Amino acid sequence: MRAAAITFAVGLSPCCAMAQIGNPAGLAPDTRMEKPGVPAPNQTNYQDRLFAQLVTAGGRAEVELGRLAAEKTSHDGVSAFANRMVEDHDEANKQLKSVADKSEIPLPEELDPDHKKIRADLEKQDGVAFDLAYLAAQILDHQKTAQLLAWEIGSGEDPELQHFASDNLPKVLEHLDMARTLHAELAGQALLAAEAQKSK
Amino acid sequence: MSRVFNLGLPALLGAAAVTLTAASDPLPPDLTYRPLPSLPFSAVKENDEAQKPAVIERQRKLLESRYNLADRPMRGVMMSGGRKVVQEGVRVKLPAGETWDSLAAKTPQEIRDRGLLPNGFLPLPHVKQATGGQVFPENQIREIGADEGRDLRRFDVDFDLPDYLTPEFPPPIFLTTHPELGDVSRGDLLTIRNFYEYMNGIITPVQMEGLRLLLTPFPQEEFNQTEDRKVAMQSMGVACLDCHANFHTNAAFHLTPDVRPQAERFRLDTTSLRGLFNQQIHGSKRSLRSVEDFTEFEQRTAYFNGDHVSATRKGVNLPDRTNQVAMMAQMQNIIDFPPAPKLDPFGRLDPATASAQELKGEQVFMGKGRCAECHVPGLSFMDNNMHDLKLERFYKIGETFNDQVAIPDGPIKTFTLRGIKDSPPYLHDGRLMTLGDTVEFFNLVLGTKLDQPEKDSLVAYLLTL
Ligand code: HEC
Ligand code: HEC
Repeated sequence: MRAAAITFAVGLSPCCAMAQIGNPAGLAPDTRMEKPGVPAPNQTNYQDRLFAQLVTAGGRAEVELGRLAAEKTSHDGVSAFANRMVEDHDEANKQLKSVADKSEIPLPEELDPDHKKIRADLEKQDGVAFDLAYLAAQILDHQKTAQLLAWEIGSGEDPELQHFASDNLPKVLEHLDMARTLHAELAGQALLAAEAQKSK
Repeated sequence: MSRVFNLGLPALLGAAAVTLTAASDPLPPDLTYRPLPSLPFSAVKENDEAQKPAVIERQRKLLESRYNLADRPMRGVMMSGGRKVVQEGVRVKLPAGETWDSLAAKTPQEIRDRGLLPNGFLPLPHVKQATGGQVFPENQIREIGADEGRDLRRFDVDFDLPDYLTPEFPPPIFLTTHPELGDVSRGDLLTIRNFYEYMNGIITPVQMEGLRLLLTPFPQEEFNQTEDRKVAMQSMGVACLDCHANFHTNAAFHLTPDVRPQAERFRLDTTSLRGLFNQQIHGSKRSLRSVEDFTEFEQRTAYFNGDHVSATRKGVNLPDRTNQVAMMAQMQNIIDFPPAPKLDPFGRLDPATASAQELKGEQVFMGKGRCAECHVPGLSFMDNNMHDLKLERFYKIGETFNDQVAIPDGPIKTFTLRGIKDSPPYLHDGRLMTLGDTVEFFNLVLGTKLDQPEKDSLVAYLLTL
């Protein structure tokens, strides 16, 4: 856990190294100050806590669905994407857990109902239908995650969580771009295949 | 088999979306809505004041890392009122080892992958992004304090740019109805106390009432009577012309009402209201179609960030469309651009009065520089369109600078270039300090590969507009 925290700190890009300064109107009422205006470390407001829970649920799902996709797909691009999701989100989940532990935020242990349903739906599909459904779900998940990370950057109180968010947002946007590109490619291919069938 | 095409494919593509929406929780409400403060006013104020030195210092560091902020006046070139010198040179700092030419020779991908875009071209954060809100320059705070006894000073932040990089203050006022009078501002800032004395005999009754309303303070997100304010005493609010000083701009800024969540909202440098009569679309993103629409809605946006829920709590003022809005709009519509003696009726330089360098600049503007494709001389140097300059081709999106996340700008309306030397800083968020900066920016973004004499002549030309 300690190792994860250190890699995370070292991995910060120079842009994000400076302390976040939030609007004090959003601090938790019981916040202790290290010095005037500067909350002592590892204290959280409700945004931090909700953020950690929602992003953990999302991150867990990325890994589980990624494993499922890597197993089911026969498309190289989708398989590479799925493996990348497993790797990147596994790493991010560990980072988040280490910060959350320090700030004593309880995190969900299992998949949330939304993602359970998505997994169940995906399990029933195969072939191109599966690839497209998986990617569509990934696009939506990454859109939501990007907004959640930006929310934490603007509204959180715990600087370590905020750094986690600013550090991971570029990666999430990169994933989103990959998913969108892949989805467009596969949908285009599916359309062409269907048209070829039709004109036979 | 055509069944696959007719039914199968749309079903394939649509299936996931349908099941997902049925199951999903929405994102938390305060991604979109303004949260209520969780602490009493006194506690917030104390913390804000304690944080202020760090806030100012952090912004100073960012600005100094991005720009050369020195006071370098351009010899002999004044703004239209003759009250402030125009600043010269390119102020955006280059990454180590690069020149403007070496940068312009690279592809956007190479610049992005190697992180070579000068940071001064990136979106400029608000001085305190997480809080945001209106921030007035010192001269405006002083004048309004002295003249009206109204306090525009925030306890959490100060204005972040040096005075010499902002418009002259107070700006001159030119009227379409009285070109022969020239500047009618008397060198003073229009306020609710002096407007009647200064303007009676020059404008009509309807315009006068419009002006009164534009100078009347109304409650605003940071200036109001609730605990959710950033001014020490309960405030009467702000007036339209607190930002659009003398119908121009004093470089007061806030955050766009058009984007959420907070960290992704871009900074907005107050636009000039000069020449509004020719503009068909208003607002950098909103593209509202009339001055009336914008005037009416500015009470929702400049005042309350496009959050009508918060506005209702703090006391929103909604001017009556047919009477008040019409009069406010008609007053704004008689504000002219400053005179441009070297331009003919087509908006082209008169060779008899323009210098050789200015004429060469016009050629670049119309030709190799491609500026006139959007800034059309016959349309007051606009095209009444929004354009996506796709700056994100040059940088990796999603990085955070002083709590602001740099996402793509997307389509922004073409701003007029008439009177452009009067309104630094430039672009919708004021990320560029000088006209020299704008020339380097567009040269890179448009890939026009101008050489130094062409760039210099282009700046000389922009000064004549
Ligand atoms: C915070 C200072 C501020 C105040 C107060 C303010 N504005 Fe603005 N105004 C701006 C900014 C910034 C913009 C640019 C908005 C954009 O680009 O989306 C603007 C844009 C406008 C425009 C559109 C101009 C254009 O070129 O598109 C009009 C018209 C306008 N304001 C009128 C008003 C009126 C009327 C009021 C009072 C009800 C008012 N403003 C109050 C800052 C302010
Ligand atoms: C594709 C259309 C397009 C072209 C071509 C173009 N511009 Fe612009 N210009 C814009 C847009 C859109 C904006 C507003 C951008 C923003 O605020 O982010 C703008 C803004 C500006 C501004 C700042 C205006 C202000 O009030 O802050 C200047 C100065 C300017 N352009 C100069 C030029 C010059 C010089 C050229 C040619 C080298 C040029 N533009 C070419 C679309 C264009």
